[in-house]
Amino acid sequence: MDYKLPKQTHEIFSIMARGHFISSNGTKDNMGKLYDIINNPENFDHFQEYFNIIRYKIERGNNFFYFSKLEETNSIIEKKLETFEKYIDIIDLFASMDNKITIGSRFRPSEIAEECNANVRLKQKLQKIPLYRSETLSNKVREICDLMTRDSFLEKEDEVSENYKVLDSYSYLMDMINSIAIYEEPPGSENAGGIIYN
Amino acid sequence: MGMQVNVKELLTQLYYNRNVIEFLFGNRDSITVNELLGRDDITAEQYQKLINYEILYEHQSVVSVNDAVIAMFEDFMEIGEVTPGFISDYINELKRHIRYYQEGRENRFLRSIKKYLKRINNAISREIIKLQKNVDDTYKNESNYRIKLQKLEDYREKRDTIIEFIRKTEDVVDETRNLFTLTNDIELYGIVGVLKSSLIENLDYLIEIQTDITDYINKIQFQLDVYKKAQRIKEIKDHGELHYKTNFREVVKDINPIGFNGHKSPRTKIPIDFLFTDDGYMLCQRVAEKYKITRLMARRMADKLPSDFKEQHVENSVRLDTSALVDKFLSQNKHNLFEFLANYKFPKAIGNITFEERITLFVEIVLEYDKALDFKYRLQYYEYEDAEKRKKKLGYTLILPKKELKKEGKKKRLAD
Repeated sequence: MDYKLPKQTHEIFSIMARGHFISSNGTKDNMGKLYDIINNPENFDHFQEYFNIIRYKIERGNNFFYFSKLEETNSIIEKKLETFEKYIDIIDLFASMDNKITIGSRFRPSEIAEECNANVRLKQKLQKIPLYRSETLSNKVREICDLMTRDSFLEKEDEVSENYKVLDSYSYLMDMINSIAIYEEPPGSENAGGIIYN
Repeated sequence: MGMQVNVKELLTQLYYNRNVIEFLFGNRDSITVNELLGRDDITAEQYQKLINYEILYEHQSVVSVNDAVIAMFEDFMEIGEVTPGFISDYINELKRHIRYYQEGRENRFLRSIKKYLKRINNAISREIIKLQKNVDDTYKNESNYRIKLQKLEDYREKRDTIIEFIRKTEDVVDETRNLFTLTNDIELYGIVGVLKSSLIENLDYLIEIQTDITDYINKIQFQLDVYKKAQRIKEIKDHGELHYKTNFREVVKDINPIGFNGHKSPRTKIPIDFLFTDDGYMLCQRVAEKYKITRLMARRMADKLPSDFKEQHVENSVRLDTSALVDKFLSQNKHNLFEFLANYKFPKAIGNITFEERITLFVEIVLEYDKALDFKYRLQYYEYEDAEKRKKKLGYTLILPKKELKKEGKKKRLAD
């Protein structure tokens, strides 16, 4: 049977089947090109049809793609809760930085470590994030970056200068935060009015 | 006070120092005097000359190229900051010359009018292109959030200014339509026509840019809002209320990327055949080293070929010139081919040729030189000792040189 699949199908599968995101602004492993290939409406339908047979579904986000599993209950809830609680800690740290880290930003772990070092509140936040190899602030930031690179939210652009770039997949985390509903919000806490706690 | 310069001199200076100018243009406001003079392509003397010409400026030991030069480059390359002010100047000039023309009806004023109409058209298009570039650039590259928002707001204002100028230009053109008709100047009609259609087109672009800016601002605002929310959620989490005051659990439960649901990437076993290849060997060795398994390390790769392997090979093939050997065989009549080869004394340089090798040679010659040989289709036997000193008997076909057919035949019979 001919599915009219592009020749990069295997590459795409091997990245997404590892649980990684394919972001439009990624550069490693031809990421941007692969994104364009999936994003091509003609290809997309073929891919979807093809991968559905083996019970994978391509999910489309804002400038990124990822795999979910069809007809499968997501079972390991405890592990997931732990992961995303950690992500709340990390995003809270990023949100409190002077230079807000967001999609497309580039930064070096040392910059974050420096800012945390200069600001007691940030320092505390960083220290409280539950990670293991954390003797120094910069190692801790590095560990965070490693974690986020593994989950394909960041990309290490340069090994030597340790430059990281925030990928489009980061908006998955943004959407996740946004979809959390807070019950019985105490009156008055909504009036932050454009000011970010810093 | 700068020196009086003319165009030619200015061009000469710019050309002569083109590497320096290009370097400074590429690294605006970041090069110090020492850095510049450290380069090979400028001497202190030349540097002083450029300062005197006011092509370069020095401020707190940072060197910069004259703004006028930079502006010229930027204008040509359609980069740089958006400066809608130019358009306003051109419109005022246009109005002025229209007034003159109303008074004097002289051709020189008409020429100026045409010039400014063209300039306005070009300037508007150029500013819009720059605006588009700058908006994109700001959204993508400005790392500071507040500055990013501010810049985008500024661009929104600049966009409004450009729209205003477009309207103004339209008004001016409309007001003077009668005057233009009176001139009966085809070229002017053409210019006005082009201007009008490009104004409409440019308005469309600006509307698009507006959508982009709004979109970008919204996205940034969304991110800011999410960050605010993240801080709020973190606060709740720190109070230990995350699971009770929010629907965090439900949200996480619905998170579906396979990476967060414990799916491992599909694994395949390595084919056994692969393990027998050199790559497979490397893999085995890495595994063996990791787990300290000596058993896996036993199998080695073949040794490296000696560096003169190729030459040796070539040498041998040159010495073992089979065609010369065959010629020799054909020119004699004492032996049949097999006997000839079995007893032939090869030159020493080739080394010892074993009996097996001689048989190989026999087969080779038979296959290759069959035309020159006389096949007798009779078996003869040859007795020899093998490596274990056992007596062996080998049957072979009797083959004689063709031209010596009769003699050989007689001799053979005698030998039989």
